[in-house]
Amino acid sequence: MDQTLFIVGINHRSAAVGLRERLAFAEDEIAAALGRLRDSSPAVLEAALISTCNRVEVVGVASDTVRAADETLTFLAADRKVAHTAFADVIYSSAGRDAARHLFRVGASLDSMVVGEPQILGQLKTAYAQAAEAGTVGPILHRAFHKAFSVAKHVRKGTLIGHGAVSVSSVAVALAGQIFDTLKDKTVMLMGAGKMAELTARQLNALGIESLLITSRTFDHAVALARELGGTAVPYDNYKPYLKMVDVLIGSFASTKPVLGPEEFESVIRERRYRPMFLIDMGVPRNFDERLNALQNVYLYDIDDLGALVKRSLGDREREAGKAEQIVELELESFLRWLAGLDLTPTIKDIRYSVERLRDVEMGRHRGWLAQLEPAVRDRVELLTHGLTNKLLHRILSGLKHRDNKTLDAAFAAEVARRLLGAELDAHVHDLDDADDDDDTGIE
Amino acid sequence: MPMDTLWLLPALACYALSAALFVFDRLSGRTQATGYAVAILGAGVVCHACDLAARGLQAGNIPVANFAQALSFLAWLTALAGLVMIVRLRLAVIGAFVAPAVTLALGAASLTMSSGRVVLPATLRSVWLPIHVTLAILGYSMFVLAASVSIAYLAYESRLKSKRAIGPANEGGPSLEKLDRINYRLLGWGFVMLSLAIVSGAIWADARWGHFWSWEPIESWSLAIWVLYAGLLESRLTIGWRGRRAAALTLVVFSLLVGSIVGVNLIFPGKHGGSFG
Repeated sequence: MDQTLFIVGINHRSAAVGLRERLAFAEDEIAAALGRLRDSSPAVLEAALISTCNRVEVVGVASDTVRAADETLTFLAADRKVAHTAFADVIYSSAGRDAARHLFRVGASLDSMVVGEPQILGQLKTAYAQAAEAGTVGPILHRAFHKAFSVAKHVRKGTLIGHGAVSVSSVAVALAGQIFDTLKDKTVMLMGAGKMAELTARQLNALGIESLLITSRTFDHAVALARELGGTAVPYDNYKPYLKMVDVLIGSFASTKPVLGPEEFESVIRERRYRPMFLIDMGVPRNFDERLNALQNVYLYDIDDLGALVKRSLGDREREAGKAEQIVELELESFLRWLAGLDLTPTIKDIRYSVERLRDVEMGRHRGWLAQLEPAVRDRVELLTHGLTNKLLHRILSGLKHRDNKTLDAAFAAEVARRLLGAELDAHVHDLDDADDDDDTGIE
Repeated sequence: MPMDTLWLLPALACYALSAALFVFDRLSGRTQATGYAVAILGAGVVCHACDLAARGLQAGNIPVANFAQALSFLAWLTALAGLVMIVRLRLAVIGAFVAPAVTLALGAASLTMSSGRVVLPATLRSVWLPIHVTLAILGYSMFVLAASVSIAYLAYESRLKSKRAIGPANEGGPSLEKLDRINYRLLGWGFVMLSLAIVSGAIWADARWGHFWSWEPIESWSLAIWVLYAGLLESRLTIGWRGRRAAALTLVVFSLLVGSIVGVNLIFPGKHGGSFG
């Protein structure tokens, strides 16, 4: 039976965090776990383990994928000491085309909780490196992962999947960036103790602001938070005199009616000489009268406004995800062609690279006396060595190409040729260098 | 082809194409054509500079002998300064106003641009001509750019007020604070230039005609415009009128300026010889 990919796992959609955390592996456990998996599961020929907050997955290669999936499940249950029955219902497994598609979609951040989030690609690269370290990566997994990396790169470059702020606090921060050129000279005031409001204040504070004022009904809370964030606590019954200094005001008081209205605010903005003011209302009921938005250079966003913008960004990402899925499908076809042994190009590339590297190394070793030769003679030596490597390559490659394409036979022969030449090892070095160059996840 | 159109038409074509690309990017909410638009605007500035140089060499002075030439000179300075702002301050958004404005100005100028040799009236041949005219036209070009920044401000502002401000079209765009600050600086520099132009014109008039000021229509209008811009700057410095109100007032004063230039030059040309320098 042909060797192909299989995948077994749980993710944020199939299982709650309570179960995911029981199956998860710490980063330093993974190499050893892969060793145990290989020893206990004869059907699993190659394997890698992806363990993040949102997923625990084993990606492997097997001839009998059904048996391999069973063995992997048994291994997970035994290794994590979780009863088989506890996760039998939520685990998913797939093989062949579906497994490859799954891996590519994970890498392209299409399977993430927040579609388009950039961390997953790095996590996938780590998983690959750990499996390589454990010695459980073979030619198919090697190829599958590198294909997944390049799919991810194409998706990042070719779509807007990583654009737009997708949480309430990050939308608020993005809006602040559209009003203010810099936050370095700005004062932020946090009113109240709402979780989301605090998170927003923390994010703004982390970007570097001039000062942070905190007021809260429980003064101790304000003081503690101010101490933690390097801000200043302001008494709850006397915060209004500070308003004229404030550029970003985050409201989350628990109050049945607005705590600030346009009448008293009019004088505040006049005193600040109409410098722009960003009001973020995270209170329910709302803290700020909505008429404040009509004042000169005052921008008021309440929790629904921010939520609507989050929804819009997510909608944009969904639309972009459609384009990303098309990229995945295209790359999937090319991977499956390779897997079917019809596409020998990467193998040929590896072998060629390896043989040429061999020549370069040898020439390098003899650089000393080669340099003393007359230029004409040196050229001859160059020609001679090129002639030798080309003849050798030609034999190997034409041998590979002329096999009748009974799929795995060709792939097998190619693999043998690769191994004999040490091409596998060279290609690893080669590809990992490439992968590092492509590491462009700098979104948001 | 006569010398006059050798560089003029390519310049005009570049401006028009660049304007179309800038506007296209604005309307589509993307920035895919911006790079080309900037490059083509640059090519237009170069062609236009060649045209001005050719006319200047012909006249033996800066080419501002009539309204059309002065308008062409204004268009060039505006395009050049706009290009510098777009590149240095990353303000591609103003291209959608600057490039069409420049196209319109040069288009209007080239329609009335006489071919053949334009003789500068003897009364205007003086070293004061390039100083006075360049200062005035530099000042006007600052005001054109201030208007373009103000339009961008009002557009972004209304999106923020109406809560539509998140999306690919806004990411990486300039902040309101930045646009407001640039508007202020442009107004400041434009005001300084205009003041110096008025002073240098007065000195020149005194030397040539023996009096500083003759209440010609263009002089009166320039003074009125000067007072308006002074008021605009004053309101920011004392009351702190900035942002939306400053942008809106910039546009009001700018439209008065355009009206005065067109009106005065076409209706009452005085000794300024139908040129607004």
